[in-house]
Amino acid sequence: MGMDSEKNSLCRLQCSYASLDEAFEIGKETYRGQQYSQIYFARLHLMRTLLYSLVSQWKPQTPVCTVLGLEQGKECVIVGTLYKHMKLKPCILDEYSKERSAVPLVRPHNFMHDDDYLVLEDESGRVKLGGDLISPSVFVTGIVVALHGKETGAGDFSVLEVLEAGLPPQIEFPLKSREDKYIVLVSGLNVGSSDSNPLQLQLFIDHITGHLGDEKEQSIASQIVHVVIAGNSIGIPRGLVNGQNLASKDLSRIAEPIKELDILLNQIAAGLPLDIMPGPNDPANFSLPQQPLHRCLFPGSAAYNTFRSCTNPHSFEIDNIRFLGTSGQNVDDLEKYSDAKDKLEFMERTLRWRHLAPTAPNTLGCYPYTDSDPFFIESCPHVYFVGNQDKYESRVIKGSEGQFVRLISVPKFSESGVAVVVNLRDLECHALSFGTQFSS
Amino acid sequence: MSSGGRKRRAPPTSHPSPATQAKTQALSQEDDFVDEDVFLNETLITEDEESLILRDIEERQALANRLSKWTRPALSSDYVSQSCSVLFQQLEIDYVIGESHKELMPNSSGPAAIIRIFGVTKEGHSVCCNVHGFEPYFYISCPPGMGPDDISHFHQTLEGRMREANRNSNVGKFVRRIELVQRRSIMYYQQSSSHPFLKIVVALPTMVASCRGILDRGIQLNGLGMKSFMTYESNVLFALRFMIDCNIVGARSLSNCQLEFDCLHSELISHAPEGEYSKMAPFRILSFDIECAGRKGHFPEPTHDPVIQIANLVTLQGEDQPFIRNVMTLNSCSPIVGVDVMSFDTEREVLLAWRDFIHEVDPDIIIGYNICKFDLPYLIERAQALKIAEFPILGRIRNSRVRVKDTTFSSRQYGTRESKEVAVEGRVQFDLLQVMQRDYKLSSYSLNSVSAHFLSEQKEDVHHSIISDLQNGNAETRRRLAVYCLKDAYLPQRLLDKLMFIYNYVEMARVTGVPISFLLARGQSIKAKQKNLVLPNVKQAGSEQGTYEGATVLEARAGFYEKPIATLDFASLYPSIMMAYNLCYCTLVTPEDVRKLNLPPESVNKTPSGETFVKSNLQKGILPEILEELLAARKRAKADLKEAKDPLEKAVLDGRQLALKISANSVYGFTGATIGQLPCLEISSSVTSYGRQMIEHTKKLVEDKFTTLNGYEHTAEVIYGDTDSVMVQFGVSTVEEAMNLGREAAEYISGTFTKPIKLEFEKVYFPYLLISKKRYAGLFWTKPDNFDKMDTKGIETVRRDNCLLVKNLVNDCLHKILIDRDIPGAVQYVKNAISDLLMNRMDLSLLVITKGLTKTGDDYEVKAAHVELAERMRKRDAATAPNVGDRVPYVIIKAAKGAKAYERSEDPIYVLENNIPIDPQYYLENQISKPILRIFEPILKNASKELLHGSHTRSISISTPSNSGIMKFAKKQLTCIGCKALLSKGNHTLCSHCKGREAELYCKTVTHVSELEMLFGRLWTQCQECQGSLHQDVLCTSRDCPIFYRRKKAQKDMAEAKLQLDRWNF
Repeated sequence: MGMDSEKNSLCRLQCSYASLDEAFEIGKETYRGQQYSQIYFARLHLMRTLLYSLVSQWKPQTPVCTVLGLEQGKECVIVGTLYKHMKLKPCILDEYSKERSAVPLVRPHNFMHDDDYLVLEDESGRVKLGGDLISPSVFVTGIVVALHGKETGAGDFSVLEVLEAGLPPQIEFPLKSREDKYIVLVSGLNVGSSDSNPLQLQLFIDHITGHLGDEKEQSIASQIVHVVIAGNSIGIPRGLVNGQNLASKDLSRIAEPIKELDILLNQIAAGLPLDIMPGPNDPANFSLPQQPLHRCLFPGSAAYNTFRSCTNPHSFEIDNIRFLGTSGQNVDDLEKYSDAKDKLEFMERTLRWRHLAPTAPNTLGCYPYTDSDPFFIESCPHVYFVGNQDKYESRVIKGSEGQFVRLISVPKFSESGVAVVVNLRDLECHALSFGTQFSS
Repeated sequence: MSSGGRKRRAPPTSHPSPATQAKTQALSQEDDFVDEDVFLNETLITEDEESLILRDIEERQALANRLSKWTRPALSSDYVSQSCSVLFQQLEIDYVIGESHKELMPNSSGPAAIIRIFGVTKEGHSVCCNVHGFEPYFYISCPPGMGPDDISHFHQTLEGRMREANRNSNVGKFVRRIELVQRRSIMYYQQSSSHPFLKIVVALPTMVASCRGILDRGIQLNGLGMKSFMTYESNVLFALRFMIDCNIVGARSLSNCQLEFDCLHSELISHAPEGEYSKMAPFRILSFDIECAGRKGHFPEPTHDPVIQIANLVTLQGEDQPFIRNVMTLNSCSPIVGVDVMSFDTEREVLLAWRDFIHEVDPDIIIGYNICKFDLPYLIERAQALKIAEFPILGRIRNSRVRVKDTTFSSRQYGTRESKEVAVEGRVQFDLLQVMQRDYKLSSYSLNSVSAHFLSEQKEDVHHSIISDLQNGNAETRRRLAVYCLKDAYLPQRLLDKLMFIYNYVEMARVTGVPISFLLARGQSIKAKQKNLVLPNVKQAGSEQGTYEGATVLEARAGFYEKPIATLDFASLYPSIMMAYNLCYCTLVTPEDVRKLNLPPESVNKTPSGETFVKSNLQKGILPEILEELLAARKRAKADLKEAKDPLEKAVLDGRQLALKISANSVYGFTGATIGQLPCLEISSSVTSYGRQMIEHTKKLVEDKFTTLNGYEHTAEVIYGDTDSVMVQFGVSTVEEAMNLGREAAEYISGTFTKPIKLEFEKVYFPYLLISKKRYAGLFWTKPDNFDKMDTKGIETVRRDNCLLVKNLVNDCLHKILIDRDIPGAVQYVKNAISDLLMNRMDLSLLVITKGLTKTGDDYEVKAAHVELAERMRKRDAATAPNVGDRVPYVIIKAAKGAKAYERSEDPIYVLENNIPIDPQYYLENQISKPILRIFEPILKNASKELLHGSHTRSISISTPSNSGIMKFAKKQLTCIGCKALLSKGNHTLCSHCKGREAELYCKTVTHVSELEMLFGRLWTQCQECQGSLHQDVLCTSRDCPIFYRRKKAQKDMAEAKLQLDRWNF
């Protein structure tokens, strides 16, 4: 179909866009021998200032101590970083263990065990946590919390109550009467991998660019103002890159899917603004925050000013509505080391802990920051999304100070054929499903 | 039980001190261990000193209060009123020389040996029992025709000679008495049941040796002229003598005696360790560790370097958590949760606080890592250097100083070791390092690698040069050190629990009948006191006696067997042989006697080695009898173990059956030990010759019976036979069939042997890789449906002087060959590894070789790589160079042609920092090739050609060192990331030719970065985990840790890779 048929041409709606990725850009920072203690230190300082201000309302009567200042039997409040001692946690030292077990290790999906326990640590020391109130299955290493309780004789701190930082303050939701504008979130295109379906992907692109359907559908498409691709756009067969020298033949095989993706993105970027985030399988660095995919990978689409290569995590504002999202690593890692009823619950927890990726650097790769912690959530987003999940889920949570957050788990497109559409007017969202199966 | 109501004695200070006495110098130095008389008054400190100490303690009342909460439970009224007898578990026995007890022994006077038994009651009270009236003695055979008059004359002569030999001793009477008794020597078969012997009772234990010397050399006797005597039982240590005669075995429960008590030896009752008495008393186990502030570049020396921290953990036996944790620090230290931190301003106070702590807690067992050689002697010597006379009072005996002496311990099994012995009276020292070195073969015995091995936990290692910095910092840095010190004190306790040492050693003591401390310091020996037999003290002929032929090994038919191999094992082969053929000292017939005695042939056995032994109808041997008892006891223990529910009881029983097994096997061992108590090569060579015969016999029977001629599907083949097992390939293809045939064969062959020799079928190997004798690997099956484990013997998996690469390579290959059954995969794996090595892609930590630096360079006769390196490192930086006692890690680097291997050793860190190329050829030829070829030769044709010279060895990459001379003249210029061509101005990343491949080349760079980032994260967070803190920087420099070099390398590689990546952003 062609544009020429539409005389009373539909005009794509516009929106204002501001990137907030600066905090996630590493830039000229280098590895100078710094260690991970500094990011924990920075995190603890940020969070402690915050928690101390809350403690004065929470437990005005109870004294606040450091771990060292604990006295046996005296009730107090302590603030520190949680550390979860896990029996089954995989350990790089095991690679060196002399006796390989004859039975191959079953790689568990989740590393939790009944013997796991929590420890609270501040700069001064650690104390083991006891009591039923703080469940090791919920918390993970790296979260900063305030605890009310007392030290028992055995050197344990018996927890009576837990205070999390809670949802951060939120900028006001723009109230002026508005039209419907849509943002499309998609992830896991996996171009080039065996499970990607090129036809399905083309359908998706044609739909959002307005090349499909009748006028009504096209008018809806014209209301899409922005597309975000949340990671794993390229599926390079893993076997190819294993540190060994590659033959030039193999090298060019790596480049194939990238070229294909460039062509696809070209089509989108020609029609509407596009943000692409790197994901765990993309040709980007591994540690969070992942840096933008290099423009040299996309010689075609990078020519458009609508094409933006972004960091992961990615934060931006569209029409003063704040978005925050990742390509999924933070939630996937939480799922390995803790328990929740669904992915959205993990997401909600990270907001309440005010930390996007508490398990970084412990189990999630992360740049060794020296004086800041970019994953600290200062301001509450209106939309919080996580890419590359198994299925589409969404829910709204509300905070005590009127915060209103739309949580979205964006499925892998290559497996589900589902993209997610968010309406900027009311943050309602729905799934957009593409199928290529013909029913007989 | 004997009557209670014995009077409690005042502390032993009340002894009137006899005039100074010189120690009797033991005359016979050929003995491994001799008694050493310690005079009670020698170790005691004088009155005025004591009052000084008491005053000192009063001044330190505050501390005393703090310590007092840890004292032992108070005595119940029964104990105080002395109305009940006391049941306690004995832990340690020693003796001192003191004045005879006037009330108990009204008839004797002068110095006498007092046996002290230390132990614990089940309520946890500590007990010291002084046993009086037990006298040292030995036997000589009575010359024929000696009447009572002759004996008294003999007595006088001997007394005179003794007085001459011990001139400056003031003992009133050396030889107390000489009795005529009927005994029989254990050596050789004798027809008459007993002979007259003289029992010579002497005053002090050391006089046994002195008196033996006199008798050995000969003594002038009336009517007999100069005559020398063979002595019997003269080399039994006094404490053992006591235990044997009173039928006490190590760690057994005794009744009688209260807290500190005196009694006669005849009033002790020893309970067999059964039922109620097999339980463990709640011992107090102290685990401690000290930290010293060494000077830069020196290992701490007690004359210079202060003790800055002492961490203590006390655990009650049977509980899983310590009930006391404390640390004593010099200067302030921030608090630690759950730990009592005691800070002092002077070192003197630290040391004295520790002494007071020991007094209050009163531990029964003191454990630690290397405490016997380092911590304890260091504390004592440091106290000496600081002139704290009152410090070394750590034992159970009030006001008695501990003694330090150098000892050497040698045994065939464990080799010779030098160590210091700090005798702390009444407290058993259990040094985990010594135990590890003796019981386990490990590649390294550092606490770090031992705990990594057994507890799968790495330990943070703080270099001793950093310790001083931490100490000189503030209360926070000292706290850091204290946490580290506490961890070091905790690990020995955890090792002790994990490996159940207490159970195993207590049971061993119970079984062998020697105190635990003897087991640790002296190896095992077993006592035999039976039926009036006496053991001659045979002069050791040393090596002249020669050796005898060892166990047999059937020729191994090397190969890779893909059919199940059944293994037939002789159950306790050597003990069974000794029982079956009645082999003993007392059944051995000397060649002359064979001619003289004219024994009927049906009542003697002629062994394959040509010795003659009588059968049990003429004389039942003592050794077979002991063995029967031991094996029956083991059977009982095993049966009880099956019944037992309680885990503690199980631990006790398991320890016991193990101890019984070891003891049974050691019975054979000491007949062959040329430096043992009573070697008898006739017995040991007979045993092995029978063993050889049985193996041959089994092979023959199997190959005769299991043939196609006899109706079996396949003809069986014996492929290998070792000391007590025979490997048979029955030719069947399933494990189950092999098991059935194995069982059948075992039963059939067992029937042809003299009882109790028994052939058992235990396991099947499938597949089985037989490399040569004593070297094999296979999957181990005991049930037909699933294998139990991979079993390897004699294959390079734990050799100390191999680098990790060899170990990993061998393990992974075996895994692939045996479990995955993927031979091509294993070959490819080896090729990849070799290629990685040649292409300089190998992880450096896998190439590190570690050796201990035992003495300085000049003392080594041959130049050794690690010694040379230590020397070179000292020139570079004396502060961080390894010292004597440290382990030196090194890699072999490329150097000028013809350079000796020892010149090519280099510090791995230095190699990493300067990009120095390693020498892949060295690793290929000297490390990898032999073990790999051994594995593959039975499997592959042309293994060497295929694996070591294939096309994968053609490409080589060598890094350019950044510190070499030529680099000073080199100009750095950017090259194209794609093709390495020099870049012209204006281009930063790629040359114009490669521009078109930009995307793929970028992918390559970024993939490399991403892999390094993943590694970086995993390595550094692991180190945070080990050090137990997220908010503090990792300080650890443990070179024993497998990831130490990787961590360093990851940091360096990461920085470089990041720079490369940044080049794309122009």
